Amino acid sequence: MGIDRRTFIQLVTGGVVGSLFTPVIWKSLDDAAIWSQNWSWIPRLKYGAITEQASLSKFGASPCAEIVKSVGGSPYLTKGNEENEMSKGGVDPISASGPQLMYSPSRIDGPMKKVGEGKYESISWEDAEKLLSEKLAAVKGQKGKLAIVSGDSTGTASEVLSGFATEMGSSDCYLMPGEEQGATVALNSMGGNGQIGYDLDNADFILFVGADAMDSWGPVVRNQRVYSESRPTGGDITTKYLYAGAFLNNTAAASDKWIPVAPGTGSIFCLGLAYHMLKAGASASVSDFADFKTLVMSRFTPDKVEKAIGVKGADMAAIAKQLTAASAPVVVAGSEFGMGAGAADVIAASALNMLLGRVNKEGGMKILPNLPKAVDAAADRSELAAKDFAGYLAGVASGKVGTPDVMMVYEANPVYAMPQTEAMASALAKVPFFVSFSTFMDETASTADLIMPNPTNYERFDDAQTPYGIGAAMLSACAPVAEPLYNSKATVDVILGVASGLGIDLGYESAETVFQAKAEKAGADWDSLVEGAAYVSDSTESGTIKFAASVLSKAVVMPKGGEVALAPYSKLLNGSSTTAIPPLNVALVSKFELKGKDLLVQVNAKTAKKLGKSEGAMVKLSGAGGECTARIHINEGVMNDVIAAPLGFGHTAWDVYSSGKGDNISKILTVGTESGTGLSVWTSSFVSIA
Amino acid sequence: MQQKEFDTKWTMVVDVDKCTGCGACMVSCQAENNIAPMEEGSNKLKTLTWMLVYELNNGKEFPNREVAYLPRPCMQCGHPACVPVCPVVATTKDEEGGIVSQIYPRCIGCRYCMAACPYHARYFGWFDPVWPGGMDKALSPSTSTRPRGVVEKCNFCHSRLLDARQRARNEGMDPNKLPDGWYKPACLEGCPTGAISFGDAKNPEHKVHELIKDPNAFRILESIGMDPQVYYISRRDWVREQSDNHLAEDKH
Repeated sequence: MGIDRRTFIQLVTGGVVGSLFTPVIWKSLDDAAIWSQNWSWIPRLKYGAITEQASLSKFGASPCAEIVKSVGGSPYLTKGNEENEMSKGGVDPISASGPQLMYSPSRIDGPMKKVGEGKYESISWEDAEKLLSEKLAAVKGQKGKLAIVSGDSTGTASEVLSGFATEMGSSDCYLMPGEEQGATVALNSMGGNGQIGYDLDNADFILFVGADAMDSWGPVVRNQRVYSESRPTGGDITTKYLYAGAFLNNTAAASDKWIPVAPGTGSIFCLGLAYHMLKAGASASVSDFADFKTLVMSRFTPDKVEKAIGVKGADMAAIAKQLTAASAPVVVAGSEFGMGAGAADVIAASALNMLLGRVNKEGGMKILPNLPKAVDAAADRSELAAKDFAGYLAGVASGKVGTPDVMMVYEANPVYAMPQTEAMASALAKVPFFVSFSTFMDETASTADLIMPNPTNYERFDDAQTPYGIGAAMLSACAPVAEPLYNSKATVDVILGVASGLGIDLGYESAETVFQAKAEKAGADWDSLVEGAAYVSDSTESGTIKFAASVLSKAVVMPKGGEVALAPYSKLLNGSSTTAIPPLNVALVSKFELKGKDLLVQVNAKTAKKLGKSEGAMVKLSGAGGECTARIHINEGVMNDVIAAPLGFGHTAWDVYSSGKGDNISKILTVGTESGTGLSVWTSSFVSIA
Repeated sequence: MQQKEFDTKWTMVVDVDKCTGCGACMVSCQAENNIAPMEEGSNKLKTLTWMLVYELNNGKEFPNREVAYLPRPCMQCGHPACVPVCPVVATTKDEEGGIVSQIYPRCIGCRYCMAACPYHARYFGWFDPVWPGGMDKALSPSTSTRPRGVVEKCNFCHSRLLDARQRARNEGMDPNKLPDGWYKPACLEGCPTGAISFGDAKNPEHKVHELIKDPNAFRILESIGMDPQVYYISRRDWVREQSDNHLAEDKH
């Protein structure tokens, strides 16, 4: 039988019709689609028991109590811990990527010693501790030979470091710059003890002066939660927010009104408001009220204030009237980027709170007690907070202060984050034996002689007491939620061990016992703390504070001006002074802040025209301490003659997610000295632009 | 196209006035949905941001400038433009609740859906995902990993809906009548200001049922008839006015 044309057509037609009914083709196509996406280099998901454990994140600027979700023992996601008063159930954009940071390629996998420029050799913990002990033994009992700096302003770990420094005969234990420095010196100047806090929860009118409460000032996440509670979705606003600052930052954007005020002039703004209140009859039963009134009425008249900060007298009078009319107003001053503001701004804002009768009142400014110390030899928390590391380093750089033989850096990155970065880094480079306890290979660890890596908070015990700005004294703690990933060791354990070898008894044998003792002395229940609750004290310091008029008269000076004032700002999404841009956040960095490897700085159209620059123009910014390059972005949310610039870029260490991206604005900050307090300040920096 | 109606309508309501633009929602979304970190993040045409916070402004010069932040997930449209254009039925709106699915193994990467979506809520994976070192240990068990070459988008953290339904079954409840707050996307959990509300708009016991009727509630590009399941609320006129492409002489 031959195949004729008819048979052939029947065969083809039958085949086509048959193929439509057989699942083979469709199944094959489906399989092909699936298997062509199923490559060996695409990671598979890991399954296992999903658990939720309370922890504490310290990646951001302020501690964040969170719930860590783990699968098969590996953390993968965090959310806010609603049971914890310290952050009231929120999470910040660094802590939100905490588990991925834990696995960051920048993690240091074990102790290392420097064997050449940029070259390190892994050593055992035994050898590392022996090396550190030898160096410390050589300086024990000698003043000025050992310096310690901690980037953890809330943890009892800093108490351990401070106690160790004291027992070693060193008075050079510091905290990295933060808001608490100026505030502590301010409180001391006003005759108070303890720590300044603000009961934002119960205020009905909040004026932030400089303080970027939504991104860098105080307990950021808690501030956001409190803000949220005062304006329920679909409901009525119960608290009015005003923001005074040079840049329309996230706090200004969230506020009901933004009042443009030149950078670094918060104290003048506050005293300008005080003028109107005093004129309206405000007073306070405080010993130096008369001096304060004389100071304000003579030096902060509306015309002088307008000339200095650019706010009209009528506008100032209206704000003062609003403050006076509110039933629970509070004024909060701080830096626009979380550091360098000095004490005058806080004293001036406190003066307003005193004139309004809002000190130690519900919804007002609170003076909180420090929790009892766990380590007897440690400096008081206020004493430690008031110490000026920038001033110390500037002294070392200039030779006015002797270079220590040993410097130990804990949870801090001073080589990157200090103002006038290059000068400060050169001072650190002079230290013969430089030790980093960093978790990550940051700029400081990259220059250290010895690296002794600290595990992340997910892998160790830690605690946090009364973050600066919070309205009540409190304590939170955490226990490990994951097995240690690398050969790291908790710094507190390292210090306790080394101290013991040097014949120093700090009273404890392990980190866990230190944190437990802290909880016990504070009156908190340790088990509750590690399960996620915060201990909250409702006590405040008794006694009155004064206006510190004599300090204000020296510390507040009218700005001399310059070409363009610099208004740095810090956004947690872009990292913090201790954490570079987290890997997950890279794609989320604003297109108005980073383009390729170029940083973008922001000026308004009028300023750009004055400078002869247009959108995208490459500029060189020169400050007292260095230079930065950036592109111009026109943003009408910046004051005239002000350039707003994001911090957190220009890393030279870390990993591919942050290294070499943009420039480090800290380089062009100018460090000055605040008259009357002697504190280092760097919120009034001017730059020239080419 | 005939709109499918469901008894449940999972709806997000974003209070634009409460959003501070911090970005925690975006980070939580990246972590929950296994979006791999990218070395170069400033080329926004190639980044993957299922949840994206846009910066809006009132267009005025200093000192009258105002800024608002608008988080934008997938709108889970009632009349999704992406669904009918997909040649391989990789995206559908056929499940109770109204979430528009995206079936990665079925997607052939033609990107018709991306062209069709008026909200730019869909993303194409230009690169294979890479989690360096041991970072793949932090992968979420909730969302499958995707290779390059497929389109992906927000699905209101759909696996959390499945988890909530399973919990309801375990507790002897109707899995299609979940109590308010049982099903929460990761962005909502991450948001520190509580700007995001979520629930079943058809269930009177859910908060969003009332919120979508707020006089200040609006949807983006409402005039083109996509019927999105994401609503926004703002007291500010200029924010609401930017929600659609009005002509200058229009009265809003």
